Amino acid sequence: MSLEMSNTNGGNGIQRSQDKRELLCLLKLLKKYQLKSTEELLCQEANVSAADLSAISETDVQQVLGAALGLGEGEKEPPRPAPVETKQTAVTEANAAEALAKFIGDDSFDAQQHEQAYEDLRSFVEDSLDIYKHELSMVLYPILVQIYFKMLAIGQKEKARAFIEKYKSDLDGYYIEGLFNLLLLTKPEELLDNDLVVAMEMDKFVIRMSRDSHSLFKRHIQDRRQEVVADIVAKYLHFDTYEGMARNKLQCVATAGSHIGEAKRQDNKMRVYYGLLKEVDFQTLTTPAPAPEEEDDDPDVPDRPKKKKPKKDPLLSKKSKSDPNAPSIDRIPLPELKDSDKLLKLKALREASKRMALGRDQLPSAVFYTVLNSQQGVTCAEISEDSTMVACGFADSSIRIWSLTPAKLRTLKEADALRELDKESADINVRMLDDRSGETTRNFLGHTGPVYRCAFAPEMNLLLSCSEDSTIRLWSLLTWSCVVTYRGHVYPVWDVRFAPHGYYFVSCSYDKTARLWSTDSNQALRVFVGHLSDVDCVQFHPNSNYVATGSSDRTVRLWDNLTGQSVRLMTGHKGSVSALAFSTCGRYLASGSTDNNIIIWDLSNGSLVTTLLRHTSTVTTITFSRDGTLLAAAGLDNNLTLWDFHKVTDDYISNHITVSHHQDENDEDVYLLRTFPSKNSPFVTLHFTRRNLLMCVGLFKS
Amino acid sequence: MSGKLTKASSASSSMLYGSVYSAESIKVIAESIGVGTLSDDAAKELGEDISIKLKRIVQDAAKFSNHAKRQKILISDIDMSLKVRNVEPQYGFVSKDNIPFRFATGGGRELHFTEDKEIDLSEITANNAVKIPLDTTLRSHWFVVEGIQPTVPENPPPLSKDSQFVDSVNPVIKLDQGLNKDAAGKPTTGKIHKLKNVETIHVKQLATHELSVEQQLYYKEITEACVGSDEPRRGEALQSLGSDPGLHEMLPRMCTFIAEGVKVNVVQNNLALLIYLMRMVRALLDNPSLFLEKYLHELIPSVMTCIVSKQLCMRPELDNHWALRDFASRLMAQICKTFNTLTNNLQTRVTRIFSKALQNDKTHLSSLYGSIAGLSELGGEVIKVFIIPRLAFISERIEPHLLGTSISNTDKTAAGHIRAMLQKCCPPILKQMRPHPDIADEYKSDFGFLGPSLCQAVVKARNAPANMVTISSNTINTAPITSAAQTATAIGRVTIPSSQRQGSPVVSTLPQIRALQSNQQPQKFVIVTQNAQQQQSQQAKVVRRGSSPHSVVLSAASIAANTSNSNSSSGSGNVSNLNSGGSLLSSRSNDNSTLDANSLIIETEIVRAPPELDDLTHLE
Repeated sequence: MSLEMSNTNGGNGIQRSQDKRELLCLLKLLKKYQLKSTEELLCQEANVSAADLSAISETDVQQVLGAALGLGEGEKEPPRPAPVETKQTAVTEANAAEALAKFIGDDSFDAQQHEQAYEDLRSFVEDSLDIYKHELSMVLYPILVQIYFKMLAIGQKEKARAFIEKYKSDLDGYYIEGLFNLLLLTKPEELLDNDLVVAMEMDKFVIRMSRDSHSLFKRHIQDRRQEVVADIVAKYLHFDTYEGMARNKLQCVATAGSHIGEAKRQDNKMRVYYGLLKEVDFQTLTTPAPAPEEEDDDPDVPDRPKKKKPKKDPLLSKKSKSDPNAPSIDRIPLPELKDSDKLLKLKALREASKRMALGRDQLPSAVFYTVLNSQQGVTCAEISEDSTMVACGFADSSIRIWSLTPAKLRTLKEADALRELDKESADINVRMLDDRSGETTRNFLGHTGPVYRCAFAPEMNLLLSCSEDSTIRLWSLLTWSCVVTYRGHVYPVWDVRFAPHGYYFVSCSYDKTARLWSTDSNQALRVFVGHLSDVDCVQFHPNSNYVATGSSDRTVRLWDNLTGQSVRLMTGHKGSVSALAFSTCGRYLASGSTDNNIIIWDLSNGSLVTTLLRHTSTVTTITFSRDGTLLAAAGLDNNLTLWDFHKVTDDYISNHITVSHHQDENDEDVYLLRTFPSKNSPFVTLHFTRRNLLMCVGLFKS
Repeated sequence: MSGKLTKASSASSSMLYGSVYSAESIKVIAESIGVGTLSDDAAKELGEDISIKLKRIVQDAAKFSNHAKRQKILISDIDMSLKVRNVEPQYGFVSKDNIPFRFATGGGRELHFTEDKEIDLSEITANNAVKIPLDTTLRSHWFVVEGIQPTVPENPPPLSKDSQFVDSVNPVIKLDQGLNKDAAGKPTTGKIHKLKNVETIHVKQLATHELSVEQQLYYKEITEACVGSDEPRRGEALQSLGSDPGLHEMLPRMCTFIAEGVKVNVVQNNLALLIYLMRMVRALLDNPSLFLEKYLHELIPSVMTCIVSKQLCMRPELDNHWALRDFASRLMAQICKTFNTLTNNLQTRVTRIFSKALQNDKTHLSSLYGSIAGLSELGGEVIKVFIIPRLAFISERIEPHLLGTSISNTDKTAAGHIRAMLQKCCPPILKQMRPHPDIADEYKSDFGFLGPSLCQAVVKARNAPANMVTISSNTINTAPITSAAQTATAIGRVTIPSSQRQGSPVVSTLPQIRALQSNQQPQKFVIVTQNAQQQQSQQAKVVRRGSSPHSVVLSAASIAANTSNSNSSSGSGNVSNLNSGGSLLSSRSNDNSTLDANSLIIETEIVRAPPELDDLTHLE
C-alpha cells in the first residue's frame, strides 16, 4: 500500500537523492519480500548492478532500517493523498493549544470588541449605497464565521452561539447549512477537526468585488479604525477586484454559496481546449466549434425551412479546417483504433445518420424502464452508448445487466473451442461467442458494498463499477467475470466514468480526490487534489483531455489530464453537486445539485451561463441530446424536464442573457420546453440513443 | 442506539442547534450499563460530545443516502458512515421501514422510545413457508411520445384528481388559466409566445371536447364490449374502465351512454343490459383517477331507476331482477359515501326518496323492495330511523300476498323477497334497540305479520357470535332459483371487491350470462350503440363548453316533452342554461325529491323511446 502511494507521488525521486547504501539496503529488502517489479524498476533507475546488491549484508539492512525507524515514521511514510489531511494530522500532533492560539490571533481577545466591530460593519453595509450594498454584504459571512471561531477558540461557547444566533438572519439562506455544521462545534479542540474550519483557515475566502466597492470597504476600515475586521480581512479574505459596475443582488448570489467563496480570476485563466478532437479515420466525425450556429434573427419562426436543419447538424457536416479550440490529437496518448473499433464507429455513424432532429417543435420520445422488485435498492443505472444494455448497481453490492434488445448476452466459448476458430475470419466477433449461453440478464457479484456507479467502455466489452468498499472493478462483458480490481481510494468511491475514447477512466471518492486511471495499470495516473470535501461526481470531456468534478464543497472543477492541474473553478451551487454533463460541442458543462438547480457553465472562461430552476429535489441525472439541441434533466422529484439548450447558447453568444437579465424577468421558464412527471418513480439515469430517443431508468416507489 | 432517549428540553430549543443529550439521559444510559456514579459535569460533557458525534455520523449517513439516490436515511447508511470512521457498525439493527418513535409523558418528563416487541421464535420456526422474494425485473413503457405523455396506467394521470375537482366545482377556472395552462397540457408551440407580443383581444375560448380518433375508437370498443355478448371481453373492458387513467375526457359520453341505456332498457325490460350498465357504473366508480361528481346527475337517476323501477325484466315472476336491485343499491350506497358533502346533501336526498316510497301504500311491491334494499345499504342508522318504524306497515302490505290470498304469483315472490330482505337487515339493529327478553307477542304487536319471524332472527342473532351478524352486502342474495338466478350470483361475485374499493371488478369467467344474453333480441343492443354513436357525432358537430350537461339537459327536456308527467320536466328545463354540472345536479335532485318515488318511476317508465328520440339532432 505504502509503496503504491510513494510511486504515485513521485517517491522515487526522494529515494534517489539518498545515500547509495540506504538504497542498496532498500533493494535488498525488496528482494527479501519478493517485490520483483519494484526492485527491477529501482535498479534500472538507480543504475545499480546485481553485484553491488550482493555486497550488502543482512546486518547492514538492519542497521539502516534501525536508523530510519529512529528518525521517526513521519519521514518514511509517504504524504497522505490530500494535503488537507496532512495539515490536519500535523496540526493534531502539534500542540493543540498552539494551534488554537492562531485562531485567537492575539492574547488580548475581547469578545465584546469583536461583536461591536461586526455590528459596525453590518451597519456600514446596510447604510451603503444600493449599488454597492450587495457586493459589500458578501463580506459579512466570512467575517461572522471567523469571529465565531475566535470566540470558540477561547472557550466562550455560549457567547459564540448567541453571536451567531443574533446575526444569522442577515445571511442568505444557502449559508445556513454551513452554519449549522459550524454550530455543532462546542469545544475549541473540535475547531481543528472540522473540514469547513480547516478549509477557511487554509485558503483565503475569495470575494469578488468591483474596485469601487472594494475601495469603499477599505476606506471604512481605515476611517473607523476597525482593527479587528482589518485583521481578519488581512488574514482570511482575498478580494478579487475588477473594473466596472458593482453587481446587483442576483449577480452576487448566482456565484456565491461555495465554502471557499468565489472563484478567483486566475483560477480560470488557463486556456482550455474545449473543442472536439479531429478523428483521424473518420473525417465525418469531426465537429465544428460551437460557434453561433445560425444568424437567424428570430429562431422561433415556425416556418423556417426544415431542410436547413440536417445541414447544420454539427456531427454530420464536414469541416475542412481544424477547430482552433480543439487540442491536438496527440495531446494525450489515445489508444489506437482496432479494426473492430472502426467497425463499431462506422455502425454508430450509420445509426447517427438516421437521427431525429430535435428542437422546440420536435420533442423526443422517451421510454421508461422501471426496475421492479428492487426493494428500493437501486443505487445507479447506466445505459451503454449503443443503447443495447443497461447495467444497474444495487445496494446489496450486486450489479445486474439486462439486454435491451432481443439479442442475448452471450459468453465466450471455451478455450479449446476458441483455439479452433479462424482468427482472420470476418465474423470472428460473432463466432467466438457461445450461442447456447445467451441470457437476457446477468449478475456481477464481487463488491462488498453498495455499487454507486457503473460505466460501460465505449467498445462495449468492459464495464467499470465503483463501490462503497473503496474499490473499482473492471468486468468483462465477454467472459462475464471480474477482470481487475483497482485499489487506490481509501474511502467509498462515489463515481467512475470511462473516457469517450476508452482506455482511461476517472473515479472520485469520499477521500476528496479524483483519480485518473488507465485500464492496464493498477495505479492511478493522476490524482486530482483540491476539493475541500467529497468529490461526488466526475465526467470526462468529450475530447478525453479534461475531467470535470463536482464536490460537496459546492464547487465544480475542471482538471487537465495532461498536467493534472485544476484549470477551471466554478462556484455558484448552493448544495453539493450531484450530476455533471458536457454539452455535445464540448464548450459547455451542465451541473445539477442537491439545491435543485441546474447551472450551465461556459468552459472557455469558466463563467456561469444560466441557472435552470424547475426541479424541486436533487437533480440526479443530466444529459444532452445527441445533436446538442436539448438538455434533459431528472431527479428525485419524479420529474423529467426538457430544456431548449439551443436557445440558451444562442442567447448567450449573442449576449442576450446575463445572469441578472434572465432572472429579473421573473420568467425562468423561457428555456423550459416541457416537464413530464413520472408515476412516483424517481429517476436514476437518462440516456439519449444515437437516434435521439430518450431512455429513462427509474424505480417505482410504492 | 435503540435505547431510550430523553429529549433535551432544558438546552436550546432553537432549530439551529438541534437537541443535545441532556445530562439526565446520559446518567440513565450510564446506569443501564452499570455505571452508577457519574458526576453532573461528566454527564454534561459526555452528552455534548456524544451529540456532536452522532450528528456527524448522521451528516455522513446523509451523503450515503444521497449517493444511493434516496431521500430517506436507512440504517445501512448509518452503518456505512460508522465504517468510514473506522467504528464497528451496529450489527443486527435492520429494518426496512421507519421505526416509529413512541412518545410518553409522566412525572413531568417526556420520553421517546421505540417499541420492542417480543418475538416468539417458535412461531417463526413453525412457519416454514417462507416466500422467496420476487426477482428484480425491468419493465418498459412509453413515457413520452414525441413530446406528449400517453395516458397509460404506468404514467401519472394527465389531470390530477384535485384539478378535476377544482374543475367540477369552479368551471370558470378553465377560462382564467386560458393561455398559460399549456405547460401542463398540450405541448408549447411558438404561436403562443408570439401571441403575447401582439396586442390581442382576449376572446373567450371555446372549450373543445373533441375526442381523438383513438379515443373515439376506444369509446366504441368499450361500449360495445360492455353491453355485448362476449363475457371475457366485457371483463377486459370493465377492467380498463376501472383502472385506466386519462378517461376523464370521454367521461361525459360514458355517463350519457349509461343514462340513455338505462332509460331505453328499463322500457324494454332488458334485465341483462341493465346489469351490464350498472357494472359499467361500478367500474367508473372504482377508477381512482376519475372524479365523477360532475356526472352524478346522470348516474344517480339511472342507478335509482335500477333500484326502484316497477318492472325491470320481461318475466318478473321468474327473472332475478332482485339481484340487480341489490347491486344497484350497493352502488348507490357507494356513491353516497364517496360524494356526499355538506352542500349537496346527497345521502339525505337519496334517503328521502326511498323513505317516501315506504310511506306510500300504493307503491308497487318491487319498488318497495328496492326502497328497502336501498335504505338498508345506507347503514344501520338509516335502517333504524326509516325501516323499523315502517315494519308494521310493510307487514300489512305483504301479509295478504304471503298468506296466499293474492292471485298474482309475481306479488307473492316480491313479498317473499321483501320478507327475506327485512329479516336480513333488521335483526342486528333490533338486537340493539330492544330490551333483552325477546317475546314473540310483543314483536307481533309491534311489527305485525313479520313480528314472530323477526323475533326468531333476533334471538338467533343474540346467540350467534358478534362478527357473524354484521350486515354484509354479500349475504342478501337469497333469491329463489329462477332462470336469471345465475346472473344474480354473477353480480354477487362482482360485488366482492366493493368492500375493498381499490380492486377493479374483474370477472374472469361468467359463461352463464352469455346464455341469458342469447335469449335477448339482438336489436335492442343495436339501439343502444346506435344511440351512442349518433350522439357522439352530434356532439362533435356542436362544439360547446361543458358539453355534456347541455346536451343532456336537452335530451331530458325532450323526454319531458313526451312524458305526461310535466311536473318533473319544468325543473329540468329551467336548469338548461346552467353551466355547472354540480348546480344542475342539485336542482334536478331537488326537483326529484319533491316527487314521491312513484312518480320518479313513472317518469322513467313512461319514456317509450321512439326511434327519433335517440337522434338528438332534430332538437337543434
